[in-house]
Formats: sequence, structure tokens, C-alpha cells
Amino acid sequence: MQKKNLAICLLLFSFLLTTAAIAHTTLCSCYDNGDGTITCEGGFSDGSSAAGVEIRVVNKNKKVIIKGKMSEDSEFTFDKPKGSYQVELDAGPGHLVEVDGKNIFE
Amino acid sequence: MIKKKKILVALAGQPNCGKSTVFNALTGASQHVANYPGVTVEKMTGSYRDHGRKIEVVDLPGTYSLTSYSLEERVSRDFLIQENSSVVINVVDASNLKRNLYLTFQLLEMEMPLVLDLNMMDVAERRNIHIDVKELSKQLGIPVIPTAIKTGRGKKKLIKAVTAASGFGLHSGLHLEQPFKLILVDYGPMEPFLERIQVKLSKEIELDKNYPLRWLSVKLMEGDSEAQNLISKNCPEPDEILKFVEKQRDTFEAKYDEAPDRYVAFRRYQRAETIIKSCVRTTTASSTTLSDKADKLICNRYLGPLILIGIIYLLYYLSIVQGYNITNYTWPILAKIRSLTESILPNPGFIEEPLIRSLSLWFVDSINALLNYIPIFFILFALIAILEDSGYMPRMAFILDRLFQRFGLHGQSTLAMVLGGIYLGGCAVPGVMATKAIPDERSRLATILIIPLLNCLAKVPLYVLLINIYFSEHKGVAMFFIATISLLIALPAAKILTLTLLRNKETAPFIMELPPYHIPTIQGVLGRAVERVWLFIKKIITIVAVIAVLIFVLLQFPGLNLERQAHYTKEKEQEISKFYNRITETQYAEQLRGENLMALILYWDKYKNARMMATNQKLVKKLKEKFEKENPLFFKIVQPKKDKDAKKTNKAFRKLFKARKKILRELRKEKIDNSFLGRLGRDMEPFTKWAGFNWRINVSLLSAFAAKESSVATLGVLYQQEEEGENLEKRMKKGEADFTSLHALALMLFMVLYPPCIATTIMVKLQTGSFKWMFFSMIYPITLGLIAASLIFTGGKALGLNGLQAMAAFYALALLTTIATGFINNKEII
Amino acid sequence: MTLNNIKPGSECFIKKLTSSGRLGQRLVDMGVYPGLRLKVIRNAPLEDPMEIELDGHYLTLRHEEAKFVEVQE
Repeated sequence: MQKKNLAICLLLFSFLLTTAAIAHTTLCSCYDNGDGTITCEGGFSDGSSAAGVEIRVVNKNKKVIIKGKMSEDSEFTFDKPKGSYQVELDAGPGHLVEVDGKNIFE
Repeated sequence: MIKKKKILVALAGQPNCGKSTVFNALTGASQHVANYPGVTVEKMTGSYRDHGRKIEVVDLPGTYSLTSYSLEERVSRDFLIQENSSVVINVVDASNLKRNLYLTFQLLEMEMPLVLDLNMMDVAERRNIHIDVKELSKQLGIPVIPTAIKTGRGKKKLIKAVTAASGFGLHSGLHLEQPFKLILVDYGPMEPFLERIQVKLSKEIELDKNYPLRWLSVKLMEGDSEAQNLISKNCPEPDEILKFVEKQRDTFEAKYDEAPDRYVAFRRYQRAETIIKSCVRTTTASSTTLSDKADKLICNRYLGPLILIGIIYLLYYLSIVQGYNITNYTWPILAKIRSLTESILPNPGFIEEPLIRSLSLWFVDSINALLNYIPIFFILFALIAILEDSGYMPRMAFILDRLFQRFGLHGQSTLAMVLGGIYLGGCAVPGVMATKAIPDERSRLATILIIPLLNCLAKVPLYVLLINIYFSEHKGVAMFFIATISLLIALPAAKILTLTLLRNKETAPFIMELPPYHIPTIQGVLGRAVERVWLFIKKIITIVAVIAVLIFVLLQFPGLNLERQAHYTKEKEQEISKFYNRITETQYAEQLRGENLMALILYWDKYKNARMMATNQKLVKKLKEKFEKENPLFFKIVQPKKDKDAKKTNKAFRKLFKARKKILRELRKEKIDNSFLGRLGRDMEPFTKWAGFNWRINVSLLSAFAAKESSVATLGVLYQQEEEGENLEKRMKKGEADFTSLHALALMLFMVLYPPCIATTIMVKLQTGSFKWMFFSMIYPITLGLIAASLIFTGGKALGLNGLQAMAAFYALALLTTIATGFINNKEII
Repeated sequence: MTLNNIKPGSECFIKKLTSSGRLGQRLVDMGVYPGLRLKVIRNAPLEDPMEIELDGHYLTLRHEEAKFVEVQE
């Protein structure tokens, strides 16, 4: 590839890369499916999917009882734990969302 | 005699004399920020009314003097000489009168109506400094108004004095001789030289008409370069005059053994000292001030850095952590805007989406993403304003200057770099904004150019994904690597830039004042925060909006060809018939024929989205009631309760819904691959392959960022045909047989280094005033990122290292480079 | 003797400014000129820059800049 083409390509490449990673407020909403399972949907504030992001369920002693990753649909379904629990969607430092079990209903 | 001219008032004064407080007090909410033409110096204008007349005020940059050496001084000078100010208010720090008078004399030489605002009288009184205002006024020949503008004291008198001085004095009520008498500094032995020059200049018509000749003579005698330019531009035979001046200068220096410019300066101070002797009385010996006592701690060898770290941490905590908490409340508002948009757009089909719909939603998403940052930025800007107003910034520079200076940066770069993200994640947008304070052009540019390399908080989820897969056993180490490597690359980069590209940029002496600490005013802080947020919205969000549309086009076209479209249509039909097969025996099969199926899909989607936003039990109940009323049949399927048929339908429907999502995902992915973006990814492969990125990774990178698809998900789909039930990790590990931790590391490093976002790029353009630097700031980090990634990948592969070992090796390399470049000496500035 | 050699806590007064260019002008503009008494307050935690007090106000300058200020104790 000629030098000029390379420069243009590089410029376009960088341009496209810079256009999005701009606001990553992590979002997570959960609801009770009524059949003994809970489904949580996640995402980021710029519309990105949270597929692959780690999600945990901890009990009231902060012990991790369930651990998994958001599916390609950016969802995660798990069996409803007994007692009080909290869901943590963890996309890294500064990107942690916690949802208290008592706020999850049908 | 009332003249109908517009009244223009200029505020001039040295830094830290309370000039901006005066400006705020006079103009209040009517302020407007622009740039002086052609330069990146801010021009603050505002207005107020007095006796029915509108008075425009311009706040000139604070400068200690009016030489030609710095941009701010030149801008101030040009304004004073060229714009016809009716009055100039010289704001002066009463507790520091001698040094402030140095500027006053220069203003007087410009022969414009001058009013001296003797500000900060409260501070002077606290220090037992008594000033004989009448005598001062007599000696200077201009009105002197004592004020303590922070408390409002003296404001009315000041306005009155300004009106009087502008020749509108109807009710001046001030006992002065004529608006003003021209009493200038006597330069003693230099006077004959000045006279000779002035006589020569008076023969030039253009000069005589437009410029105060005495001032010009003094400037020429000082060897001022801008003054020389004026001669060249306005005289038919400039060389003759300049040679004459040169001779005067040489003769003077030879005779009196003193450089003319220094002599002029010393003379001014002598005059100032004389005036002080007769007008100022200090009743007690100066003891250490409160600020000095504070500095004993703040600039202390051991406490100082600790306090600095504490303040930085507090900044981070309040703005990012608490800011994010606030976005939990503001985000629902933005989400609502999005669903509102969705509801007025045409509905999607099973696999089709109307262009207007996808474009509009894309647009709203892009804007929302930026708007979501506003609470964080507001807090951040307010905190920065507090830091600036309190006087802490020079202390920050004092503590860290030595370290930064080694790399071509400046002590004042500290805040900008902290904001950009050192160890903890930051944001490059306020970081680049904060470089405004750096007085030295060369280090300012160096700082602007390396901030994009620092830790952008928004990128964190991207490499955390990779760390969790490829470095899961060494998470802590990997995170530490990521958090610190950017600084180890940014510092040498700054040094190299300083030695090469920025070599010829203007530098400035470091010497700074450490002003007394101030308690910031709420009005000042909030005002500044609002102004900066508004700037963000106005300048950045507007451009991003345009670019979002451009990106959309790049992603959509050329789109899928007919054959592929047919493929997806077939898949759709397969899934739908599967669904009907599953529910044939139920009572609902008939009712969901034809269009009703799509209607149910839309209904379900709407319900789900609304359900996600309902935050308490009461809202959920209301929601359910609403949806049930809207369509009882559909609601039964969504919430089947005990009805066996409904439950079966519900189950089958969920499967259909999921399958639809999958088809849509694959469709979108293929569209992206085929688009201009995809083509670009392929074209880049010859260069990126050294970094271990094949075309698939390129495309997924581009689509992860430009198309906002999550990078891991994208990578996952690109690799293999999906096998039911196999999770992403396994597929990834299988798909690219040697996509090892080395690949991942190269990718991670690239992600750390490439320029963070378009908002930053726009900010760079705003701060540098040049498109050239803007493009450079986009291209060089990518190149750097590719080089670093290539080093890791190709180098690591050649040496047979795994990811962790390559990490250690690269880290050592970066550390050594940083230390090495730190020892190279900068160009001397004298 | 130049200013950069003066230890914190000591006083001295300015004999001469040996920079004829931009730095010299800046020093003068900020109130540093021959005949004045000044006090060296402290050095920064990293040794450089230094802080001085003169005429009731405080300035900070790098040692390489202070080299151009000739002083006498």
C-alpha cells in the first residue's frame, strides 16, 4: 500500500476507534421471573452490550455464592438464593453496579 | 456634553490582585467568553449599566508587565493600543503596592484615561498597612478608589469614578483635578535619548496619529520587538529609524553601563519606592502570615507530597465515585428520552429495521453517552475551580515541577495529568481542558499530547474482560501493569516530543508567584463550573452529533447483498415455524397468526424495557395494570401464572425471542464486516499483524468501539460457528488456536494507548487552536500503540515468552526508557 | 555568589541580574531587582524549585534560573 493510502487508512482507523469508548456507566436491572429464577440484564450507558462481563451474587456476609458472565444477549439468569443477597455486575474498577436483592421483584 | 459613544472599559492588572472578582462584581451574569482573534487566549467580556448607559467591560489577561515576551502580554497590549477603551481600570493589590505600580506606570505611558482600583484593602488593613489614598492619587495624577471588592466595598465609588473618567461626569462627586493629569515616570539620564527618539517619531504621520509617541519611544529604547514591528509597518523608511534607535541604545549602554531595558525597569521601581515612602505606612513589623504558616505544612518535604496525594484522591473520590452515584439518578432521565424516541419511530420488523429508526436510536445513544457525563464533569469542574481560586495550584507545581520538568513538562501539568488518569482512571477531556493554566507553550503542548495516553476510565471494561479470561490467575499483577504502564510510556513520549517536534516552540521562565491562600466564593466556583459544562455541551456534543451520523453511514453501507438477506430471511422463517410447531396444541396458536406475532414481539420488548426501569414494587404493579389493560391476551402470555397453555406459549415464545436476538446480532455483525469499516479492518492487516491482530481482530476492534458492540462478544462471534451451549471463552480459545495470553496482552496494551475518544480530540483542537495538532494527537497514539503491541507480540513470540513474562519484560523496558530519557537535558532557557 | 547557592532560612540581597534576555526581564517584572533584600524560605520536596520571600510576597523559581541572580549576604 502506498504511503499516502497508509496515512489515510491510519487516520480513518484512529478516527473510528476514537468515536465511541466515551461513557461507560455500567447499568444493570434485575427482575424475578416468578419461577424461582432471577434474570439480570446489563449494558453501558452508550448502548454497548455487557456480554462477557463478570457478574456475581453475594450473600449478606459478602460471600460469593454464584459467579458467572453475561451472555451474548447481555443477560444472566440464576436461581433465586435464599435469604438476603446482592447482585454485582463488575466491569472493572470504577464500573461496578450493585443491585440489592430486596429491590428485585416480579 | 453627553457623547453618544459606546463606553468600553478594560480591566488590567497583575495576577492575584482580585481582578476577576472585580470583573464578576461589575458584570455579574452577563459574562461571555470568547478568544482573542487568532489565538487561544480567552477573552472575557461583560457589561453593566450606570445611569441608563451600557458599559462594556473586557477583562484583559493578568500580566506582571507589558513586554513582548509572552502571548498574554502582547494580547493585552494590542487591545489597549488598538481598541479605543474609554477607561482602563488598573486593579491593584493594596498589600503589594510597589510591585503593582510597576504595571501602573506602563499603563500611564499608554496615555489612556486610567482609574486605579486599590483592591484587597481588607487584606492590607489586616496586615496593618495604611495607605494615604489622597496622596497616592496626587502623586499618580489619577483617581484612586480603595475597594475590597469581595465584600462589595467600594464598588459604587468605582463605577462612579469610571463614569467620570470617561468624560460623562455629570454627578462625579469626586474631588479631583481634571479626569486625569499625565504624570509619567522620569527616566533621568535616559530622558534626552527618549526625547531624540520621540522627535524623530513625531515626523511620521501614521505613528503620530495612532500611537502615544512617548510610550513608543520608551518601548523602542527597551528594544521591544513588537514596537519594532510597529515601526516597520507604519513608516515608509523603517530601517533608518531602527538604526537610529539602535545607536541611542548602544550609546546609553556604553555610557551608563546598564542595558536600557533593565534601566527602565529599575527606574520604575525607584519611582514606586518613592511613592510608597510617602503614601504607605506599616504600623507593625511583618510577621508570618496565615498563608505562610499553611505553607509550612503544604510545601513541607514530607507532608507536602502526602497532602498532595490526599487532595488528588479526594478530587477523584468526589468527582468520579460520587459523580457516578449521581448518574444513577440522571441516567433514568436519559433513558426515558430514548424510549420516548423509540415510541415515535416506526416499528422494527422481525429482522428488518427501518433506516430512520436505527439512525435515530444510534444518534440518541451517542448523545446520551456524553450527556451522562455531565454530573461528573460539573463536580469535577467545580472542584478544579476551588483548587484554582484557593491558590493551591502553584503549590502543586512547586512540589512536582522537578519531576515533570525532566520530561519536558511543567509543574503546572500536574493537575492536567492527574485528571487524565494516573494510576486511577481519569478522563482526558477535563485533563486537556486543564492544560490552559500551563504558561509555557512547549510544555503545554507536550502535556496536551500525552494526556490521551493516560488511563481513560471508560476503557476499563475493555481490558478487564481480557484480563479475566487470559490473566485470571494474576489479576492483581495485570491490573497494576495496566494502571502504571501508561505513565511509563507517557513520560518518555513527552520527552521525545519535546526534543523533536516541539523543539522550536516558545518556552517561558518558570518563576511563579505563590499567592496568599483565598477562600473561594461559591458564586465564582459555580459560575466557572457552569461555564465549562456549557462549553462542553456547546463545543463537543454538537460535533459528536454530526460525527455520529457519519459513523452510522460508514457502518450501514453497502450492507448485505440479496443472497445474504435471503439467508437471514430463511432463518427467520425457520424460527417462526419452530415456534408455531411448539404451540399448535394450545389455544393461542390461532390468535398469534400473521401480524399478531410481530405485535406480540413488540409488546414483549416494550414490557421488558419498562419493567427494567421500574424501581419499586408500586411502580411494577402500576406497570402491570397498564399493560394488562392494553392487551389482555398478550399479557396472559407474558405473565402466564397457572394457565398451562399460556405457560407453554410463554416458554416457546421466549425461545423465539432469543433466537430473534441471535439472528439480529449475526445480521448486524455481517453488515459491519461488509461495511466500509469492515473493509478498513482488512486493509490494515498488513500492519497490524505484527501486533498479532489479524483482520478479524481489527474489525472487531473497530466495531467494538465505533459500532459500540462489546469487544468480547464481537470477538466471540467472529471466531466459530456457534455450538449450542458452549460458552464464549471456550469458543475463543478453540477458534484462534494460538490466541494466547500474548495476543491478549498486545491487544490490551493497544487499548491502553490508542486515543480515548472523539471528545478528547475535539478538546485538543480547542486548546491548541490547530487541526494539525488535532490529527497528530489522533494518529501518533495509534502508531505508538501498534508499535508497543507489535513489540510485545512479535518480540514475545520470538523470545518464546508467554503473556506474563512479556508483561514483565515490557514493563522493565518502559521503566528503563523512562529513567534514561529523564537524564537527557532540555534546551537551556535564559 | 548566586541565589541558587543560598540555603533555606538565610537572607541576602540582590547585587546584579546576569540574564539579559527573557528570563532577566521576567525576574524584573516580578519584582526581583538589585538592591532588594530577600529571604530563602525553602527548597521543594524534590530539592528544586526554591521559594523566596521579598517585599512581603513569595516567589518560586528553579535553581537554573536562580543562577542568574547574583547576591551578597
